[in-house]
Amino acid sequence: MATPAQTASTSTRTASKRVRQGGFFNQTLPFWLLLPTLLILAAIQFYPGFYSIWLSFHERQGAVWNFVGLRNFERVFGSAIFRESVGHTVVFLIGYIVVTMTASLAIALLLNRKLKLSGVYISLIFIPWVIADVIAGLVFGLLVVPDYGLLSPILSNPTLFPPNGLSIPSDPAPRPWIPGFPFPPAPAMYYLILATSWRALPFVTLLILAALKTVPQEIIESARIDGASSAQALRFITLPLILPTLVVALFSLILGGMNGIGLVFTLTRGGPGTATEVLSFLLYTIGFSRLEFGRAAALSVFIAVINLTLIVLTLRFSRTEERAA
Amino acid sequence: MQASLPSSQDYAARKRLQPWLVNGAMILIVALLMLPIALTLSTSFKREQDVLRKPPVLFPCDGPNGQFRLSECRFDVEGYERVIAPRPDPNSPLGFSLTGRMFSTYVPNTLLYAFVSSALVFVLSGFAGYAFSRYRFRGRRALMVAILAITGIPLLTNLLALYQMAVDLRKAGIPGYDERMFIIAVYVGFQLPFSVWIVKGFFDTIPRELEEAAFIDGCTPIGALWRIVVPLAMPGLLAAFLLCFVNVWNEFIAGYLLITKRDLRTVMFGMYDFLSQNIINYQVVAAACVLIAAPVVILFLFTRKTFFQAMTEGAVKG
Repeated sequence: MATPAQTASTSTRTASKRVRQGGFFNQTLPFWLLLPTLLILAAIQFYPGFYSIWLSFHERQGAVWNFVGLRNFERVFGSAIFRESVGHTVVFLIGYIVVTMTASLAIALLLNRKLKLSGVYISLIFIPWVIADVIAGLVFGLLVVPDYGLLSPILSNPTLFPPNGLSIPSDPAPRPWIPGFPFPPAPAMYYLILATSWRALPFVTLLILAALKTVPQEIIESARIDGASSAQALRFITLPLILPTLVVALFSLILGGMNGIGLVFTLTRGGPGTATEVLSFLLYTIGFSRLEFGRAAALSVFIAVINLTLIVLTLRFSRTEERAA
Repeated sequence: MQASLPSSQDYAARKRLQPWLVNGAMILIVALLMLPIALTLSTSFKREQDVLRKPPVLFPCDGPNGQFRLSECRFDVEGYERVIAPRPDPNSPLGFSLTGRMFSTYVPNTLLYAFVSSALVFVLSGFAGYAFSRYRFRGRRALMVAILAITGIPLLTNLLALYQMAVDLRKAGIPGYDERMFIIAVYVGFQLPFSVWIVKGFFDTIPRELEEAAFIDGCTPIGALWRIVVPLAMPGLLAAFLLCFVNVWNEFIAGYLLITKRDLRTVMFGMYDFLSQNIINYQVVAAACVLIAAPVVILFLFTRKTFFQAMTEGAVKG
């Protein structure tokens, strides 16, 4: 460890000495190299971030924006659809995380056994990740079109789905167990979770697989020879070692799930009724269907706060500070 | 107690047995995951009368008695023809032109946006990655963490402000302003942070001694970057390019909301539009899905090593 670090620091010194000999441009080179990136990030990431906050305190009347204080927030948070939508988002996220994490972990554990065909499997499994969310929504939507969709014979089977079979695009949610919390959800929500997980699974599998590759096989081998079952080896050796990756995967799933919108757009459009109206789609509905910009901005500030919390937690867990060195 | 503990021989025996089971399980999983794609492919090659059948058929190969016969298969490219809509055109060098909106408008637009923004990401992340990898300056660490934090910020929460910015920019009447510039800037702004990290990681693996040698030979820092570092870090830069390309190709909501002129819209808007036009012509929708997903899927399959390398690289960092 020491030797490469030393060489690195010596060569940095020589490099900067070399740079100091150059003209003004070469002396300030890192600044010029970073400038375009920083300008674009300022214009496309920082400025809109602050603009959103500004918008959330204003409302448009004709051509002018009037300051309205916290009224946008009050109206959004006070609305019934917002509370309902938070419920849908929670149900969606829990389902999406459970399905994706379990399936990804299982697949990654299988792939970690150094099969001859591992490369082929990974490439095929990865295809859903390359397919756009809009297209995934269309593909999954076509499968469950009542009567004509290729899965409709299974779904409309009354023995499998009593009493009358299932129509994913139109069946409403059953009566909630806890009043005000949309669980159990409508069939469309299960299907939305399935389709979203299908697209997220490859990435999480790759993440976990990369982490599994760093677990020393010797430890597991010796535990197994000492009589540990494979379940015990997984529970007490592998999982604790890959925990940081699992946490990072979890946060990135929540982030993606909270903010994904393309699939909802082409698969359910928030329906039937409002059964799959998750927060991201509600933001679109308020801002661009109902054109209540200030209120939508208030909602986007709310989502942004959750996003930032998740990002900070991710940075903590992945110990970025060290890697920035 | 003692007897119930499995011996190391048992363990070895279990280990020999597993490859069959594991391969079997993997084949099953892959088949399940590929199912939606396979079914879409089969729908896309059907004729309208076979798409609209109750109950639906997997393969349109049944004869008049309902028996499956290979000779009876009615596979057709009608769906594809209706997406592409080729018309004879004496002025075109190919002898025909593609008149479907998807291929006459949306695909060329998206190719333009994807190529330009990927090229910009390639150059800018190269510059920034080099600065972060090779120079130590005040605020470097804070900047890097800030850029990594931005990587996580999704488009959604900035969408309203970006929309309003697009409105403001159009009103401002800047000479030479074009909606396309703004959408490309948005794509670059959202792809850059992750790319900077990937590229910086690749630059870090290149020994500085190589540049030292170049400096001694009288090379400027920019010259060293261009002649020594860029060729060696090509996999990382290519990964940044490809990731950006695929993401821009697949991007929907920004293209949909930030572009007002229909003639400038993107393929994913085209796909979304198909939903409203072909509500009954499922074979057309399926064919469009195949045609629009195929380019990136093929691109990915040919360059998958670069993708995996870049993604695990980025993933390890969070």
